[in-house]
Amino acid sequence: MANSLRLYLTCIRNTLEAAMCLQNFPCQEVERHNKPEVELKTSPELLLNPVLICRNEAERCLIETSINSLRISLKVKQSDELENILTKKFLRFLSMRAEAFQVLRRKPVQGYDISFLITNYHCEEMQKQKLIDFIVQFMEDIDKEISELKLSVNTRGRLVATEFLKQFI
Amino acid sequence: MAATSIHKFAQCITCHAWSPDLSMIALCPNNSEVHIYKLSEDKWEKVHVLQRHDQIVSGIDWSSRSNKIVTVSHDRNSYVWNQEASGWVPTLVILRLNRAALCVQWSPKENKFAVGSGAKTVCICYYEQENNWWVSKLIRKRHDSSVTSIAWHPNNILLATTSTDGKCRVFSTFIKGVDAKDSAMGNSADTKFGEQIVQLDLCFCWAFGVRWSPSGNTLSYVGHNSMIYFVDEVGPSAAAQSVAIRDLPLRDVSFLSERMVVGVGFDCNPMVFVADESGLWSFLRFLDERKAASSSAKYGSQFSEAFGKFYGQSKYSANNNVEQSRGAHDNCINCVLPLAKQRKSSVTRFSTSGLDGKVVIWDLQKQEDLLEYL
Repeated sequence: MANSLRLYLTCIRNTLEAAMCLQNFPCQEVERHNKPEVELKTSPELLLNPVLICRNEAERCLIETSINSLRISLKVKQSDELENILTKKFLRFLSMRAEAFQVLRRKPVQGYDISFLITNYHCEEMQKQKLIDFIVQFMEDIDKEISELKLSVNTRGRLVATEFLKQFI
Repeated sequence: MAATSIHKFAQCITCHAWSPDLSMIALCPNNSEVHIYKLSEDKWEKVHVLQRHDQIVSGIDWSSRSNKIVTVSHDRNSYVWNQEASGWVPTLVILRLNRAALCVQWSPKENKFAVGSGAKTVCICYYEQENNWWVSKLIRKRHDSSVTSIAWHPNNILLATTSTDGKCRVFSTFIKGVDAKDSAMGNSADTKFGEQIVQLDLCFCWAFGVRWSPSGNTLSYVGHNSMIYFVDEVGPSAAAQSVAIRDLPLRDVSFLSERMVVGVGFDCNPMVFVADESGLWSFLRFLDERKAASSSAKYGSQFSEAFGKFYGQSKYSANNNVEQSRGAHDNCINCVLPLAKQRKSSVTRFSTSGLDGKVVIWDLQKQEDLLEYL
């Protein structure tokens, strides 16, 4: 793995470790409600400053924290149009199956490709370390997955073109 | 090991409380019930289940003299449970809250209790003989956010609160007809109900876990910015000290003696803070020994890089997990209580409970370096 990617992921891992200090917290504004504060943003004092971690212009990660929830939004590298369309389709495929992932958000935050929402309930059920590992592993795999998809599209394109052009020989 | 007994009661525990003789424990397994366990022949047996609340129970306190349990819940209600022949009988307390209740504590004399709430208020409840019910008086318009923790001063009048607006406040809770004039010490008897004695604005983040020292001279609370605060001589000329820690924030604190405080929180490992002869507070050490190896591997990026090069990322992280899950607690600790049959100036045993569903009893009797502070 490239050195800069490792630094980027280590930085995200350390930030998540510090940010994932969540607790059960009932809503202050609405009676008998208990909702992720990072989504509602009703009480500004319950939100912490968001952290933006950038590897370069195309790749960045936004971590927003509140007292009972945490939102992680990722922007995946897209160097050309083919990667753009592959990323869009692939992440749409994942987002549609968000409940299988539990921490995945159905819709990404504006300006990002995919978002995760971690609440205090996830921290109660799952180990914090495993949750962080999952997010970091996901970020590692997504780049690999996209480049593999791109390769296979290119190979298939070349094969089809060769087969098609054979008839003219 | 400082941990003498570890028992897993549930998937997750929000709070716990001990009976006066320490033979029974009341705990909330992260739902609307309160379970009471009794220790018989080295085994914990479930003896009672208190079901009356309809949302998660956020606070329990068991009075040491009158043997009453008070519970508060996110459903805005509070019950006082009395033990009778058939079991525990609840009495509803009309808190007059319109948001969740978050924490509760009996006053030292046990004629009042205080409830902190998400409605940015504190309720002081007392028993009214003629009507045969618990009445609540509210301290309003002082807090700018939810009240996360409360603590009674030993003189039964002063009440300290922490809130998510980052401030720690001290109030007078003198109620005519409940508190006798002579019971209050010094000038705190002159103050009216709900009067704010002092407001401490030290923390820039949420504040949690406030406690008074056994004599009531020192006040301690923690902030979500990984700081712990100690305030001496609470009043117009308060002297405050803040100690920053390099680890994750704390959730709750408890005084073991005038010079020793134990703090618990997101690090899953109790931290010991002590005061030297001049009264200067500092972090001494963790109580659980497991951390030394894992923390150095976790924080050093060069370490992880070297590990990653040789073993690959996945193996390194798996390695990390094994180290993490060792030790008494493996998730956030959110409650710590000193274990003593009477109110004493120093205790050597305390219990902690956390989101991993375990209750751990710690004993400092064999920790020679700590005994001098007790």
